Amino acid sequence: MTPSRIAGRAGVYVAAVVLAVYSAFPIYWMIVSSLRPTQDMLMNPTLVPDRLTLDYYISLLAQTDYPRQFLNSLIVAVSTVVLTMVLSIMIAYGVTRQRIRGKQMIIGGMLYAYMFPPLLLAIPLYAMFAKVGLNDTLLSLVISHLTITMPLGVWFLWGFFKTMPFELEEAAMVDGCTRLGAFLRVVLPLSVPGLVTVAIFAFLLSWTDYTFALVMIGSDANKTVPLGLASMVGAFDLRWGDVMAGSTLIALPLFAAFVMLSRYFVQGLTAGAVKG
Amino acid sequence: MTRWMLPGFLAVGVIATLVLIVGPAIYAVSLSFYDAPSLTSEPQWVGLAKYAAVLQSAEFWNALWNGIVYAGLSIVLQVVLGIGFALLLNQRFFGRTLLRGVAFLPYLLPTVIAVLTFKWMVDGSLGIVTITMDDLGLPPIYWFETETASMVSVILISVWLWTPFVTTTFLAGLQTVPQQLYEAARVDGAGPIRRFFHVTLPSLRPILTVIILLRSVWMFNKFDVIWLTTQGGPLGATEHLPVLSYRKAFTLYDIGSGAAVATLSFVVLMAVVSLYFLLFPMEKAK
Repeated sequence: MTPSRIAGRAGVYVAAVVLAVYSAFPIYWMIVSSLRPTQDMLMNPTLVPDRLTLDYYISLLAQTDYPRQFLNSLIVAVSTVVLTMVLSIMIAYGVTRQRIRGKQMIIGGMLYAYMFPPLLLAIPLYAMFAKVGLNDTLLSLVISHLTITMPLGVWFLWGFFKTMPFELEEAAMVDGCTRLGAFLRVVLPLSVPGLVTVAIFAFLLSWTDYTFALVMIGSDANKTVPLGLASMVGAFDLRWGDVMAGSTLIALPLFAAFVMLSRYFVQGLTAGAVKG
Repeated sequence: MTRWMLPGFLAVGVIATLVLIVGPAIYAVSLSFYDAPSLTSEPQWVGLAKYAAVLQSAEFWNALWNGIVYAGLSIVLQVVLGIGFALLLNQRFFGRTLLRGVAFLPYLLPTVIAVLTFKWMVDGSLGIVTITMDDLGLPPIYWFETETASMVSVILISVWLWTPFVTTTFLAGLQTVPQQLYEAARVDGAGPIRRFFHVTLPSLRPILTVIILLRSVWMFNKFDVIWLTTQGGPLGATEHLPVLSYRKAFTLYDIGSGAAVATLSFVVLMAVVSLYFLLFPMEKAK
């Protein structure tokens, strides 16, 4: 190897270390802070903790509304994913397969929904929910999350179904399937990568949402984790250990899901369809 | 039954689009023509009065300018850093797959957590950044107390959170650049820098166009980072249109003005997007 090549390799590794520290250090520090005894946190915040404790997790789960908020977040995110899947599969399939004029309007509407400031939708939705008595409910949050996740799902699946040849369903129908049967037995199984991508991103958007929750939810009983954590920091008695423990607990499921499904994330991102 | 499946699916689509998107959007715009101090009282039609008041207020122009600074600087940094990271992650080296995963992690974090962790790291007495800077003999930074520092804070958090979007999208694009182009450039004696500007960038211009367009739209609308970090302060130094709109509608209970600000920010955005499509037609990007 020539000296310039060696310098080049060294440069690559130095850059790699810089990127690793830049991306991971805040996350590392969040996890470490949630595990460090209070004594050490106040007096001796070493880079690698000397002692570990689960005290913050125990007090978070036993003494705060965190478990309730976690359950709320889960209910909202799962409901959002299920409704997003059902609606966007139906709409995207209808749009790609039915010959009718004006159906492009639906896709156009979805694309424009992407440009909307979330607050432009949150203000009227809040007013509408207040009128029908749905304000401050988990259902109101699910419906408002759908305004982001459904356009995403339709846009993404529309592109997916479009590339799938009609002949597949026609062959199944010749073999005696109904259209619904052909759809359920042929189209959906072949669309699994697209469906997984949409489900992941719908979950991600709902699970991490703060803006809509802030507008829609007023009572402590209906707060989701992002909203609950944010109000913990507003509180007078600031307990960083508890806050970091709560943050770690909400981040870890996301990391685990990412490790299992990373290639779908990349697929979804490169389709350019993912709001964030 | 089977005959009605597709029309049924489309009907669901029309209804869902109307109820979830078109209806609320029209309602939002119509709210901006009313004076509604609360949701229970009867709203009063005031025509364009809310727009007149908003457009004449200094806070609107301040918020518009802050939004341009916030979105502009954070997009430039995301794109420059994102492309740099993508070029690095495209090299062959030990641990590349792992690093690609690690570099993506910030994108998964809820904004709330990124903001809280940043606040914890720069905490005045216990934060690791504060302590380290003190140990190095550097003067303390008052992250949320001065106007420049608070704008820098919200930009830093945003760049950290959303650079992975650019990195990953650009990295996927890099795989599609034909290797023959690089070899041809090499034969012509082009070094790495010339190869980047004459082969990589022109090949990836369509992807870059889409990335910048999408990120501009989202950064201009992004509410949560600024609200959670500074609530628009100090003294309005980080207040942008979404924060102004939220404050009008939900803390000052002037729903008409909040809707007017949101509508105006949508108009600004549409103008930018249209200009963008005029300069970079979409058919090239496809």
